[in-house]
Amino acid sequence: MPKYRCPMCRKICSEHLDLARHYLGQTDKKHKEWLKTQGLSYAELIKAQVTEFGNKGYEALAEVLKKEAVVVDEG
Amino acid sequence: MKQQLNIVVNGEPRELFIEPKTLLVQVIREHLGLTGTHQACDSSSCAACTVVVDGMAVKSCSILALQVNGREVLTVEGLAQGPNLHPIQQAFIDNWAFQCGFCTSGQIMATKALLDENPDPTREEVQAQLDGHLCRCTGYNMINEAVRDAAKRIKAQKETANSEKGAK
Amino acid sequence: MSEYSIIGKPTPNVDGPAKVTGEARYTIDMTLPHMLYGKLLRSPYPHARILSIDTSAAEKLPGVKAVITGKDTPGGKWGLWRRFRELSDQQALATDKVRFIGDPVAAVAATTEEIAERALDLIEVDYEPLPAVFDPIEAIKDDAPMVHEDFPSNINATRHIEWGDVDAAFAKADYIREDRFVLEAAHPCAMEVHNSLASYDKGTGRLTVWTSTGSPYFVQQNLADALKMREGDIRVIKPHVGGHFGGKNSTMPDSVNAAILSMKTGRPVKIVFNRDEEFTTTEHRTAQHMALKLGLKKNGEIVAFEVKAMTNGGAYTGLGATTLYLTGTFITMPYKIPNYRYDGVRTYTNIVWGTSIRGFGSVPGKYCSETQLDRAAKDLGIDPLEIRRINAVAPGYTAPGQYTFESCGIQPCIEKMAVRVKEKWPKIEQDEGIGYCAFAYMTGGIFNWIDTPYAYSSAHIKVNWDGTVDLYSQAADVGQGHNTVAAMICAEELGIGLDDIRLHMGDTAHAYTDLGAWGSRETLMNGNAIKDAAAQVKQKLIDIARMKLGENIAYDFVARDKRVFLELRPERGVSYYDLVKDAIRHNDGVPLTGTGHYTPHNKGMISPAYAMGIMAIKAKVDRETGHVTAQDVLVVHDSGQIINPLGARGQTEGCIHMGLGYGLCEEMPMDQGMLLNPEFVDYKILRTRDMPEIEIMHVPTYEPNGPFGAKEAAEATIAPAAPSLANAIYQACGAEFFSNVLKPEKVLKAIRAKEAQNNATSQAKK
Repeated sequence: MPKYRCPMCRKICSEHLDLARHYLGQTDKKHKEWLKTQGLSYAELIKAQVTEFGNKGYEALAEVLKKEAVVVDEG
Repeated sequence: MKQQLNIVVNGEPRELFIEPKTLLVQVIREHLGLTGTHQACDSSSCAACTVVVDGMAVKSCSILALQVNGREVLTVEGLAQGPNLHPIQQAFIDNWAFQCGFCTSGQIMATKALLDENPDPTREEVQAQLDGHLCRCTGYNMINEAVRDAAKRIKAQKETANSEKGAK
Repeated sequence: MSEYSIIGKPTPNVDGPAKVTGEARYTIDMTLPHMLYGKLLRSPYPHARILSIDTSAAEKLPGVKAVITGKDTPGGKWGLWRRFRELSDQQALATDKVRFIGDPVAAVAATTEEIAERALDLIEVDYEPLPAVFDPIEAIKDDAPMVHEDFPSNINATRHIEWGDVDAAFAKADYIREDRFVLEAAHPCAMEVHNSLASYDKGTGRLTVWTSTGSPYFVQQNLADALKMREGDIRVIKPHVGGHFGGKNSTMPDSVNAAILSMKTGRPVKIVFNRDEEFTTTEHRTAQHMALKLGLKKNGEIVAFEVKAMTNGGAYTGLGATTLYLTGTFITMPYKIPNYRYDGVRTYTNIVWGTSIRGFGSVPGKYCSETQLDRAAKDLGIDPLEIRRINAVAPGYTAPGQYTFESCGIQPCIEKMAVRVKEKWPKIEQDEGIGYCAFAYMTGGIFNWIDTPYAYSSAHIKVNWDGTVDLYSQAADVGQGHNTVAAMICAEELGIGLDDIRLHMGDTAHAYTDLGAWGSRETLMNGNAIKDAAAQVKQKLIDIARMKLGENIAYDFVARDKRVFLELRPERGVSYYDLVKDAIRHNDGVPLTGTGHYTPHNKGMISPAYAMGIMAIKAKVDRETGHVTAQDVLVVHDSGQIINPLGARGQTEGCIHMGLGYGLCEEMPMDQGMLLNPEFVDYKILRTRDMPEIEIMHVPTYEPNGPFGAKEAAEATIAPAAPSLANAIYQACGAEFFSNVLKPEKVLKAIRAKEAQNNATSQAKK
């Protein structure tokens, strides 16, 4: 089963949605800034997540991470 | 111009020279160092600073010290007789009628004035007398029970004293 | 013979004699020779840049000894979330800009309080007002003013919790409802205001601070950060504290500026907030918006639950971020929720900040979830007590990755409640109703945002030649009665009396670290440390007793009633006092000592133990005036083994007082960041005539993580009061509430809305 690494740090998750959860939990500038290069806004993602039922913020980021996260082989 | 103030505090005559604007609570806490009387507001709305003046419960923050010139003031420090706690004090301890203890001297002094007037108050009468006393810790019920317990203790004490007198 | 000789017996407060005679010394009662009085100049703007400050006129006023502004401070920032340095956002005096009405900009030390106040009037501050933001929904917008740089959209903290498959579960639910709520702020209103006395020793460069706090250690750490000093050069002493309620966790500008002014003048400096400052500039229970989505089966079983929270954080972090975290946790308790999602965001805004007020993380959330549950129960035709019973957890329940209930008496609590309610309130009159709320709360927090390298709790005991015991700990009695609990635990373990124990508590110089009084932690965490310390001494006494009596290692000894004796042959024993003398002789004349400590390990994310139970309130509504009366309260409580029944009752009564206030009358209305009711004349707390009688029943469990099986009793019962009341009114007249504070106008509006809804339904039926 493939695993995915966060583009900004060494965090590895087995699902893109979990990686998105990790990503938005980070408060440092580095993580926040990279989102801008992907046309996303940290604040917008959080807002989507907290103002509407569902996982809209994480899902939007997971879509981007599907393209951008590095695939790490198991073992 | 400072003015002379002669009061009896906890049985001791005191002579002070104070600014006329000085409040009774300031005389008690700052001039006499009796810090058992507390102040918890600046708007005369908490009653923590209650003391007894000539038998009446008075908010010491709401009265100028000179207004009580020549009178007797009782604070919480003057309630115990030597090493023996007053029955109200003992009832407050035994009924867990305080937690942080900050408003307690006011509650105790109001109780003193109440029980001197009404030796056997009901729950509602205690509520009426202590209604202005804010307490953030206890939720009041245990204070109310302590006041009524104190009434019983004082009554029992009096009966014992009377029967001892009778025996003599 | 009962299992214990002291634990579980109603025990009057060990601080009682001091507190009823006026001998108890609070920080506010203290003075030192040569002491100066400090005052703070505060911002009149919610958000403004400081262009210039002119202190020259104030400095010239006779009696003024020092005037300082931001540039005169050591400049260190501090906060309780020390592990995340960007959240250390408090400072002694504003340097670049002010962030709420009341943010301090200058401080004065003078020979009298009056001169200090006059000096404040002489300080000229030139401000450039900035656009300000007061509500989380506004704060999170793109064009909102930024309260702190580096925090886009004013996002101060976020929290996500998820387990199970929430969306799939909702898809299969028989019944779904969504509700949105707005919760008001409330002030802790400790009777003793924030105040501190600082004394700096020029010769040694060391600082001593007496302050009204719940955690001397937090103050010590925060002062070290603020003043750029070593912790060890700062001694913090907590005298008696006139109330805490969570509002005295953060280190506030009183202690920091008193310290700086003492360093500048070389004299002790005392700063006392007035009641207005207490209301307008110290921490409160956070206002918040919440949205809840609940999915049930037809039989009332919860299948999915989703919660969104936006909290109006205010200008700084305090423990507000922790409150946000815990809101997502406690709202799930004590129910089995197989699929759950929580998202919370705490926003910075230009108001005084919200924090960890009593029952933090449970009070607003439980208001929403328990009123929602009643509406769902009514829609499904299920009894409100029954829907709680169906969903209540069993011992050993684990919320995935979050928490485990080891001891857990919620089911027996509900059963007991069902029986007692029928006996107590056999008949319900017109316009009366009974409302329920089940609850659970942590017994001490596991989280380490403070970033301590030390054990969470510790205690040290020294046994003297005559058998008296000196007990040292930084643990804080703030009125909750911990000193009594501490003495009881120590005495029980050593088998001696309370009169043998002398307490030395709350002084960083005399005791090892304890994180202090917050999150209902002292009984369990400090209690475990004390029990550990006492057990070490007890073992030494047993060793000597075994030698004296010549007993084999196989035989067990008991320490009780001031003797150490064989468990199976109580007549074979030695007096405690004799053993102590022998032990000291055997130990080169050194008193017996024990140093105990406790830090939770492998106990999940939240707490090692949870107190829980169910509350019922009978209330009446006046349909003409909207006036609501809480008539009677019944609580069934699992608080583990109760250490002191008197203290436990006091805590529960006090919780209900504060909880009913949250539901009935306490609120903090603001206009452009300005609090409109900063005095007890206008901020209403319940008075003695407002308080119903309260019946408390216990379902004792044995908590394996607590000392003698104990759990907390100080906070769990605050959250259920307001929702029980709202549910009682809902049962009485169908009025629905989506906000706390049931003031008559709000109740009338809800009644009218319900009537309109009923009319519309009956019209439609025709």
